[in-house]
Amino acid sequence: MSSRSLLLLAEVVIGLSCLVLALVIVGARLHRVRATRRTTRMVAPHRPMLLAVASGEDAEGSARAHLASLPSATWEHVRSTAVVMLAKVRGAPAETLVALLHAHAEVERALGWLRSRSAVRRARAAYLLGLLHDPANVPALVPLLSDPSPDVRLVAARSLGLIGDPAAAGAVLSAVPPRDGRMGIPAWVAAEALLGMGLGVAPVLRGALASADAGVRDVAVTVAGAGAFTSVLPQLRVLLDHDPLPEVRTGAAVALGRLGGPRDVAALIRCTAPSSPTTLRRTCVGALGELGDPSAVPALTALLDEPDRRLAELAAEALVRVGTAGAEVLLRCVGSTGPAGTVARGALDMARLRGQMPAASR
Amino acid sequence: MAGLWSGGVDALRALVETVMAAIEVPVLVYFLVINTSYLLLIGLAAWDLIHHRRRAEHAGHDETVASQLAPGVSVIVPAYNEEAGIVTSVQAMLALRYPRHEVVVVDDGSTDGTSDRLRAAFDLVPVERELPTDVPTRAAVTEVLVPRSGRTRLVLVRKNNSGRSDAVNVGINAASEPLVAMVDADSILDPDSLLGVAKPFADDPIRMVATGGAIRAANGCTVIDGRIVQIRMPGSRLARVQVVEYLRAFMLGRTGWSRFGALILISGAFGMFRRDVLVEVGGLDADSIGEDFELVMRIHRSLTDQRRDYRVQFVAEPISWTEVPVTARVLRSQRRRWHRGLWETLWKYRGMLGNPRYGRVGLVALPYYWAFELFAPLLELAGLVLVVLGLALGVVNLSYAYVFLAVAYGYAILVTLAAMTVEELSFHKYDRWRDLRSTLAASIWENVGYRQLTAWWRLEGWWAGLTGRKQVWGTMTRQGFAGTQPAAVEPALTGSPGPGPRDGSRG
Repeated sequence: MSSRSLLLLAEVVIGLSCLVLALVIVGARLHRVRATRRTTRMVAPHRPMLLAVASGEDAEGSARAHLASLPSATWEHVRSTAVVMLAKVRGAPAETLVALLHAHAEVERALGWLRSRSAVRRARAAYLLGLLHDPANVPALVPLLSDPSPDVRLVAARSLGLIGDPAAAGAVLSAVPPRDGRMGIPAWVAAEALLGMGLGVAPVLRGALASADAGVRDVAVTVAGAGAFTSVLPQLRVLLDHDPLPEVRTGAAVALGRLGGPRDVAALIRCTAPSSPTTLRRTCVGALGELGDPSAVPALTALLDEPDRRLAELAAEALVRVGTAGAEVLLRCVGSTGPAGTVARGALDMARLRGQMPAASR
Repeated sequence: MAGLWSGGVDALRALVETVMAAIEVPVLVYFLVINTSYLLLIGLAAWDLIHHRRRAEHAGHDETVASQLAPGVSVIVPAYNEEAGIVTSVQAMLALRYPRHEVVVVDDGSTDGTSDRLRAAFDLVPVERELPTDVPTRAAVTEVLVPRSGRTRLVLVRKNNSGRSDAVNVGINAASEPLVAMVDADSILDPDSLLGVAKPFADDPIRMVATGGAIRAANGCTVIDGRIVQIRMPGSRLARVQVVEYLRAFMLGRTGWSRFGALILISGAFGMFRRDVLVEVGGLDADSIGEDFELVMRIHRSLTDQRRDYRVQFVAEPISWTEVPVTARVLRSQRRRWHRGLWETLWKYRGMLGNPRYGRVGLVALPYYWAFELFAPLLELAGLVLVVLGLALGVVNLSYAYVFLAVAYGYAILVTLAAMTVEELSFHKYDRWRDLRSTLAASIWENVGYRQLTAWWRLEGWWAGLTGRKQVWGTMTRQGFAGTQPAAVEPALTGSPGPGPRDGSRG
């Protein structure tokens, strides 16, 4: 075959392919427009009932009865709207929506989908089971924490957090470290899930703070600080001083700033030394401000001249938060032409704008 | 004399004949390979986008919004003479759905009322704040202002003019959150934009260092209160072609590279970075014309040299909408700058080219950018010149030339149609049939006329880079998106001073 014939053949193939793609585009649009119209048409008559249920205005239960009696072909179109609403409501309306899902055998279907070969289907099922807030589904969700798909693992952890049963806390934490070459669930997802389980996770948290895995310890210090688990304060103090991972020490500093007391000031000040990592130093300064203990004032004052100007700025802000003793230091520095004066004036400006100036210092 | 002329023509004919015989097959192969590579990238993108769309139901955006643990974001907005739309832009950015974010506007020595507008709209007052010098900067900061309430998370940093990159670096220093988003002042972000580009950081906080968001053309869309409320194809043909180009080359191309794990370009118009990584690599290079490309390359080199496990990802949705040029003059300036930036950055990082140490970036992405981005305009125009010369000298048969060009450009049109198919099956942003007609027509214009024109401009930019000429920024005055009334975006272009369109994207 000559080169000209080859080119001609290629031209025909390309032309036909272009035509096919143009037809696919038009066909896809036609299909979408029709499908959207059909769904709109099918959902429209039932939307007021759905809204009545979701807003808790279905006192007589007529809307619920109507929706529960929908034929499955119609329910298929209404279903996704019901799921979206369920994610946004709490209390009695959520319970009614859950009852509706039960009435249409959605829960059984979701439980079946957990074994589907499609990762998207497994994730959708896990998501729906989480929205039900039913502890009975915990045993079905826990195995998904070791699912081959990272998406499914992530959704399962989130769903366990939504359900809020502390019995799943250990399983969620054990899904944090990478296993068999697979990435663990993200730290923040695990932490959110544990926070959703409430104070009942405290025993598991104590174990996690002593875990050999740095990722698990990282999650644990985050949860400890955000969830006000004061029972783990002694462990947080140890981690701040001795953990080999700066991220864990930083998390412990945040937690101590929220939960600690005057006895933690010395340890936090130690970590503001120039030998500490920058992030840890800055976090500890913020934590000292959070604690608001006047015993931190001399150390914070010394940091106003720090070469790391962000640290100096944070130290000035921390002094404002300490209260009168800190504000007085800043007021004394205001006249200074040195670096301390600059950050002091800046912090006082912001404090005045925010109405944070201690009464005695105004 | 006539004999001499005839001899010269004969010699030229022989030369053209020889050259054409030598390059006929390589040029065709080049066309086939470049377009096939586009198709492959689009295929990778299609897989990713379909997966992304199917995950939408359980993606958990609402949970992220409510999360107290989501990483905080500082949105850095460099602004130079943006008085027309800056207030609306900042209002929209402050209203983005995200649990914890601040907006840092850096006024790069504007000569118009950019700062005054902000001062009046947000009741800003000066505070004495010394910005840290985590990232080196050039120009002096003249003033830092915050809202009088002290609560709204807005900071305006005023500085002497020193260019966009230096302004962003000042913004990095002023940023107080661990993630930094760089956004152009004239960009319109979808309400969930920050959630979208920040989510990879939340999902993989240790390894994720940078994410890029999709950029689309705002021209023709209806904007109310800094939000796109109606998506329409632009009226200008030039802008319509760019809609298709952005879709094919920038959005789907980068989704494909991201999927392949070798994304080397994040647009400066909408990118998010870990602040500590930016500080570590020294922020944007204020001397670079392709500063966004240069930054991502520097991150790749630095982190790979340190043997760190890291990721750079592209997020195809949500979107940052930006005005694209509607006149040839501004478009020319933009493309010259982009190509010059491409050349300078590729040259600067030539040591990474083909270097197995840099994995897919060194072995695949960079060779691709050299062969199919940098050299593409040169080879394409050389081929066209030869064909025209060959026709004039009777060396090339007209019908053969037609078939040759039809195959080459027909394949390119096929690629564009494939991109449009993916768009139709995934995002289908332009929902009117009229818009579909426009995009189909634009897919032809993109390859016949527009492509050759931009190839010439790109060559000009490359030449300017090689000869070391001073880069002159384009000028583009924007109408802005101000007011509560719908504003159809069609930028008016004048010669007033100001920065050109800042998308550092390259096709």
